[in-house]
Amino acid sequence: MAAKHPESARLLAYDCLTPFGDVAETHRALCEGRRALAPVPVLGSRGGDPVPLALMPGRGLDEAPLPHWLGGIRGLAARIPGGDWGRPGRPIVVTSSNFGVGSLYSYRHDGGDPSHLGHGAPFSSVEWLRCELGWGADITVFSHACVSAHLGLVHAARLLARGLADEVLVFSYDFLSPFVAGGFHALKILNGQMPAPYRRQETGSIALGDGAAFAVLTRDRGEHQLVAQSLFNELHHFTANKADGSGFASVLEGLREAAGGRRLWLKGHGTGTLEAGRLEAESLGRCFPGSPLVGWKGSLGHTLGSCGLVELAIATEALRRGQAPGTVGTEGPCFIDEVATAPFATGGFDAVLCSSNAFGGAHAALLLAHA
Amino acid sequence: MPELYIQNLNTEMPGLEEPAATRERLRACFPAGAARRMTQLGMLVGSVLGPLNPGPEDVLVYASGFGESRSLEAYLDSFPTASPTLFQTSIHPSGAQQLMIGRQTPLRRFFPLSGGRQLVAQALVTALVQEGGRVLLCGGEERGTWLRECGVASEHSLAFALELAHVRSEGSLGRISLERGGGDEGLSLHDWCGLLARRQPFSGDAGAGWSLALEWF
Repeated sequence: MAAKHPESARLLAYDCLTPFGDVAETHRALCEGRRALAPVPVLGSRGGDPVPLALMPGRGLDEAPLPHWLGGIRGLAARIPGGDWGRPGRPIVVTSSNFGVGSLYSYRHDGGDPSHLGHGAPFSSVEWLRCELGWGADITVFSHACVSAHLGLVHAARLLARGLADEVLVFSYDFLSPFVAGGFHALKILNGQMPAPYRRQETGSIALGDGAAFAVLTRDRGEHQLVAQSLFNELHHFTANKADGSGFASVLEGLREAAGGRRLWLKGHGTGTLEAGRLEAESLGRCFPGSPLVGWKGSLGHTLGSCGLVELAIATEALRRGQAPGTVGTEGPCFIDEVATAPFATGGFDAVLCSSNAFGGAHAALLLAHA
Repeated sequence: MPELYIQNLNTEMPGLEEPAATRERLRACFPAGAARRMTQLGMLVGSVLGPLNPGPEDVLVYASGFGESRSLEAYLDSFPTASPTLFQTSIHPSGAQQLMIGRQTPLRRFFPLSGGRQLVAQALVTALVQEGGRVLLCGGEERGTWLRECGVASEHSLAFALELAHVRSEGSLGRISLERGGGDEGLSLHDWCGLLARRQPFSGDAGAGWSLALEWF
């Protein structure tokens, strides 16, 4: 077995919030092949093309002066064990790509209600949450598009390894708005089609989803372990990946030693885009041949900066329950044969590799196993 | 807590300078034609980070509280016909990515931070916990327009870039050390950049419960 990785940590607690509910409800829904996605006008109350979005129950795409998602966040935060978060020894790492940017959109386009501004900027959104949830001020905020949550996990492990924390709370939240839906629609990757991650087809499409999650990391307590983590940034293009797939391969290379000798299943990024999906699937297939590959954004949509933590929670729940959800929304020919479209038992595997990708050719991956 | 040593330092504090003036002033820092496509923040950060020649094995820590304010403003104003280009450039950490994409230089470890009065402390902690090799700590803001008037964009444009090492060498310019025990409210990015630009020592609250000592040799 390889030496302990400098960014390994134990996972003491985890949960997530999706339109299906908490992590247990989300895991069950995924195993049953259900989709949280529904067509929603891309600009919310202002109309536009219908696009597949997974919104929290009862929530519209338009942001209210007091964001509708606060109740869900409060419920999620209530499930975080322990107290004194954000105080010495118990720092918080918050990650997001959206923060409260939907509030800025509403301020600009819905009459200029200044109450939107109290949580529109990243720092004010986090500060508002901090006050709502009673956290202390030791909060580090990372934002790196759709690998944001992975950076939080890497940083948390570093804080633990350097003795700067006894436990670290990593908390991530991303809720949709016309701001982000309009952006992806303008890029023509959010269209009216439901996503089918890793499916070999004529046109691709992503979907977007609301999501939040937390993980409590420790040095030596918890039933699951982040065995190793890896990052890589191509910095080749603002949105596209290098056509040779080298970015995908490079991030996986960082985990190859830690993965050695383990039987893996793979939870990929799998948004539903064609080129990135093909490059990702082929890289995973080459690096870990024979390992089943799943992606869950065909049901939950892409929860953006929070996807790494939302999907880590689901993957951990899958290990705990012994069943991994399949690639919901995908059927027919796929980029590689290993794409698993149906749920499968995790008992025959030693670990799961979870990966995420982002604009700028940013890649992140981690290896999760029973401790 | 180990210390970090400042090996190299560049700052830009153009304050109220408009983007067109920044573009004209810094055009020569970038390949021909590149500045035309860059944001003000991208040019400012690129002009201070570029001379440090970030490479694939460096750790890059990037701090910006407001990020790409001008692109964000313009993107918001592009609705209902959302601009894909402005959407891309409005996303954090575009300010640092513009230089790196222009140079086609990959990075394994890139940590973009956001935040308020704890941002300086947290960026320094992020730099301190890295192991081995060079750590480049950069950051910046660009002065907004209508978002600034709403209090959600910076009043001043600024940028800084530090080359940091874990061990003192003959050429070290200064030392940064953090200790537990400071207050929750600390230095703003503007305050921090000013200290660096003036090479001014500092001892006091950095934010988030950290106390900062900045010494110059």
